[in-house]
Amino acid sequence: MTGLFSQLVMLGSSGMLLTALIVLWRRGLPAYIAAYRWQSWLLAAVVATIAHFGDDTSLYWVAGALLVLKGIAIPALLGAMRRRVGVTPQVTPFVNTETSLLVASLLVVFAYLLARPWMAVSHLPTREGLPLAMALLFVSLFIIVSRKKAVTQVIGFLMLENAIALLAAVGTYGVPLLVELGVFLDALMGFLVMQIFVYHIHETFDTIDVDELTRLRH
Amino acid sequence: MLILAGVLVPPLLALLLALAVRPYRRAAGWLGVALAGVSLLSAVALAVRVVAGLPIVDSAPSGGAWRVDALSALLAVSIAFVSLLASLLGPGLAADGDGPPAQSRRFRIYMNAFALTMLTAVTIQNVALMWVAIEATTIASAMAISLNRTKASVEASWKYLLVCSVGIALAFAGTVLAYFDFVSTGGQGPGSLNWSVLRTAAPSLHPELLRLAFAFIVVGYGTKAGLAPMHTWLPDAHSEAPSPISAMMSGVLLAVALYAIARWKAVIDASIGPLFTTSVLIAFGIASAVVGTFSLVIQRHYKRMLAYSSVEHVGLVAIGLALGPLGMFAAWLHVVNHALAKSTGFLLAGRILHRYDTTQISEVTGLLKVMPWTGPLFAACVLALVGLPPFGLFVSEFLLIRAAVMGGRMWLAAIVLLLLLTAFIALLSHLNRMLYGDAPAGVTSGERGGWPAIALAVPVLLLIVLGVILPGPISTLLHQSVASLMP
Repeated sequence: MTGLFSQLVMLGSSGMLLTALIVLWRRGLPAYIAAYRWQSWLLAAVVATIAHFGDDTSLYWVAGALLVLKGIAIPALLGAMRRRVGVTPQVTPFVNTETSLLVASLLVVFAYLLARPWMAVSHLPTREGLPLAMALLFVSLFIIVSRKKAVTQVIGFLMLENAIALLAAVGTYGVPLLVELGVFLDALMGFLVMQIFVYHIHETFDTIDVDELTRLRH
Repeated sequence: MLILAGVLVPPLLALLLALAVRPYRRAAGWLGVALAGVSLLSAVALAVRVVAGLPIVDSAPSGGAWRVDALSALLAVSIAFVSLLASLLGPGLAADGDGPPAQSRRFRIYMNAFALTMLTAVTIQNVALMWVAIEATTIASAMAISLNRTKASVEASWKYLLVCSVGIALAFAGTVLAYFDFVSTGGQGPGSLNWSVLRTAAPSLHPELLRLAFAFIVVGYGTKAGLAPMHTWLPDAHSEAPSPISAMMSGVLLAVALYAIARWKAVIDASIGPLFTTSVLIAFGIASAVVGTFSLVIQRHYKRMLAYSSVEHVGLVAIGLALGPLGMFAAWLHVVNHALAKSTGFLLAGRILHRYDTTQISEVTGLLKVMPWTGPLFAACVLALVGLPPFGLFVSEFLLIRAAVMGGRMWLAAIVLLLLLTAFIALLSHLNRMLYGDAPAGVTSGERGGWPAIALAVPVLLLIVLGVILPGPISTLLHQSVASLMP
């Protein structure tokens, strides 16, 4: 049983990392939004798997909430955002695709190194997911710093949040429910506020290229 | 418990009031100020209770939500005080009308939400919920920065929102790491994320994991505290925000983030000894003090000048936190002094901006003549910030250097002294340029004093009190704070 359990978790976590890599080599917001949607579905699936094998019914609720919030609601809002700000299909990053993928692979190696002490201590069957969650965390950070469009940065941030949710799920079978609720609330509020600012940037600068945001120096 | 409710409920009520009264009315604004006053009085009552040896610990079987010890009380009083000042001097109260009423209303909504989240962060005992509250401060204050929607303020708030959200997400990863270690050794239980429970269990946790967790936590909360090199958002956000919001951000929000770091440091120290956390904090502290100080030298913009001075002072506090009991005493005293001086400085800078309509230091001349109330008070704040006696920051900086010397770190004391001297020269030369000379054409001279001037004089007087005699109760509160953080 634990063999199947750890394999499923590993599969889900790897899938989540892959969806983040898609953002690095695909161009265009629709692809990014789809990647994020897939990632959130996978996250919900991982949490549901842990709920099933770990015998923790409260995690089913978490999985359901993840599915509704991150799998359906936020992608829909992102789609609305895309239609409103009308981004050109070509989303040019600061760093080209080849370099991006190279950096990402280095980040994955780094994540495995960093997670080693943790892996050594953990006895949970889900521990194989830990370095993957760490890798997702670093890749999301890289997406945020290497992309120009405000909307892409938002997607990077959302993926970062998924990474941390995955980290908590595979590392500890989820943090207490009250904390989970607080984190959800923050995630939602944070996203909504970011959405407002994307509109503000769009209206005040007539672009969502953060390249244009260079008025403040020294 | 009732006193604690007295601290937290008034800002909530003020928030709801601001939401409900639409369009904005001045009476609602004043009611909000009264509520901020109630919050401050309750916070002081809380501090008195703690000094008398009765900290509030909510020990419900489910784990309990609240915990107020000396350090929480110290920060709660600072936050409530600065919030009261911000509420009193924010847009929407003065008779001559400042800004459109819709803007005043939005200011009161975000300001109270901001105060509420900060007060919650320092009184809650679950470290993950503390994280939730600190993350919420980012959201509330980001909305407040671009109250006046200009290109610069939108840019500043976007940078702030993104950098701090990412930073704070890393802090959560650190929290999860430490929690994971706790669960894997001790098992899950009610209150297993409570600070005191974690600290008691710390000696049995794994050192290498805790080191990793602390690295995440320092980078995460350090972003929010404005520690270099994660400080990049700070000068923009603090200079573009409306002045009362800058006052709250610079005066107390940075302190709240440092509070979170200090709480975690106590947990990690209980496990692996202070060597690791000390060297990390000293490194970040020196980096911030250096970046802050040298950016002061090249500053041409007076609100950014105050912002970079915050980076410098945050660095000093981080160094203090690393220097054992003596250093921590100096650090928390410095936090209180800085809260008073910097928040007043920003509020006064807002008045200067209103009159001169420029943010350039070189275009503000003859301040003493043009604004006979604001000018001297601003001068006093800057003199306090450079650490001149008789102001409180002189005492805390002196204690900080003494702690470094007593701890055998002569090189650190030398670096700090050198940086303080550089900041001193830079700030005084900027101040000198602003205070004297002839008023620029088109700027009227003379200023009515009235209640705003009196309100702004109060923190300056408090700074003198803290500099001349450190009142017994405050000293006790500081000693208790230090004791609660020592293993």
